[in-house]
Amino acid sequence: MKINSASIQNWILPVAAVVAWEIFGRAGMLPRYLSFPSAIVAALWELAVTGELLVALAASLYRVSAGFVLGTVFGVVVGLGAGIVPGIRHFFDPLVSFLYSIPKIAFLPVFLLLFGLGHASKIAIIAFSGFFPVFVASRHAVLSVNKLLIWTAQNMGTPERKIFFRVVIPAAAPQLFSGVRIGLAHAFVVLFAAELIGSKVGLGTIISSGEEWVRFDLMFAGIVCFAVLGFVSDRILLAVRTRVLKGQMIGTEEQVVR
Amino acid sequence: MMAHTFAQAWSLVARWYSIPLLLLVWQVAVASGLVESRLLPSPGRVWTALVTEIGNGVLVYHGSVTVSRALTGFLLAAAVGIPFAAAMARSTLVRNLFEPIFFIGYPVPKIALFPVFTYIFGIGTPSKIAFTFIECLYPIVVACYFGFRAVQTRLIWSAQNCGAGRATILSRVILPAALPSIFSGLRVALPVAIIVVVITEMIGDSIGLGYYITIWSTRFTFANVYAAIIVIGICGLVLDQALLLLRRRAVYWEREGS
Repeated sequence: MKINSASIQNWILPVAAVVAWEIFGRAGMLPRYLSFPSAIVAALWELAVTGELLVALAASLYRVSAGFVLGTVFGVVVGLGAGIVPGIRHFFDPLVSFLYSIPKIAFLPVFLLLFGLGHASKIAIIAFSGFFPVFVASRHAVLSVNKLLIWTAQNMGTPERKIFFRVVIPAAAPQLFSGVRIGLAHAFVVLFAAELIGSKVGLGTIISSGEEWVRFDLMFAGIVCFAVLGFVSDRILLAVRTRVLKGQMIGTEEQVVR
Repeated sequence: MMAHTFAQAWSLVARWYSIPLLLLVWQVAVASGLVESRLLPSPGRVWTALVTEIGNGVLVYHGSVTVSRALTGFLLAAAVGIPFAAAMARSTLVRNLFEPIFFIGYPVPKIALFPVFTYIFGIGTPSKIAFTFIECLYPIVVACYFGFRAVQTRLIWSAQNCGAGRATILSRVILPAALPSIFSGLRVALPVAIIVVVITEMIGDSIGLGYYITIWSTRFTFANVYAAIIVIGICGLVLDQALLLLRRRAVYWEREGS
């Protein structure tokens, strides 16, 4: 990164906020529940040394990744199917259009009863809520593939299967990825709510137990870990996408958002 | 004529059969005792619960609480976010100062900050509205920012050429040109508002549909839980359709792409 006035201006507000938080927090001028940055770092260190952080991180990571992968795979497979086969589309469209607007977390009590308080219920609800945006995006992506591309391929005598893998999938990929990205964001929201409402381990549990023990530094440590986990996984997804979609993103909005 | 009506009726059936089919499977599964009817009450019982709870006004009350919170947070975010995005798009200083906050903060799961919000704003309505505001602000600002930036310079030049002042250009050229992006941002943010309000009500409150779901699931009366889920779905659908209607009125020169 070059140092110029723009990049300095970029850093002014975040750095100022953290410095002000530290100074006023240490001086005791902020409410206790806001803690302050150095205390949060110390709490993070404390959690890391006792190994508590690793256990929680592993649990949360396992849940979110398993649920996200399950939901995405189902969403992509069924969504592509619905895009190609009218029968599948007609079966899923009414169901999805009704369920889409419902926050899937509302089903959490049912999932908790069905799958218990452990990993399974979280994985299931994350997969369930991730399915919908991915399904909608991939269904729409297949339907909006430029027909000329398909006709051209057919004209040259390409077999159906090859058209699917070499024409439809690459053409649908950008939209597909934006659905997957929304699914990932949903996964973290649902993970947090599920861990807060019914769970014994995980980052959400660190946050809620920090609240209970009036250890606000611990609470913030959990919040920071959660935020970083969400941020890093989004960046990994974007990196994968840049890899996969080489050359397809020139001039798009996403290329600007870095 | 007959054949035509028949074909129409058939296409209607082919398009919508999955919902009655699923209801039928549900009914049969419950009646045959395949699934526990306490966990998944029959459609008839859910319908009865829905009718009684709407009839005695309980669901109407909780629903209006949830919807008014979601709408207040959403409208506040729109009222702040749209002018803010315009400022970011038009002024380099504002953009440099706030770009990292919005673009780096965008993928961070902000839900983790909710415990802090309850400390600052209390557990009732203000913290829900404040949190909904933050969650809606991000998609609105990001979408509108790109909308305002994508306004073609030659449109502005032609307006200047015709002697339009700054205020006229803003209200008659820039705003209409950015309107489609503004609406797509709003459309992303609206379901987010409902999801966030329901989740935060589930985590801790004594009114609202999220609370209603939690309380009836701890009493194992799942017919009421599903009734509340249906109400949430209907609210979401109605709000989304209202927004689409508004969009059709405001952006009358362009039809919705999908």
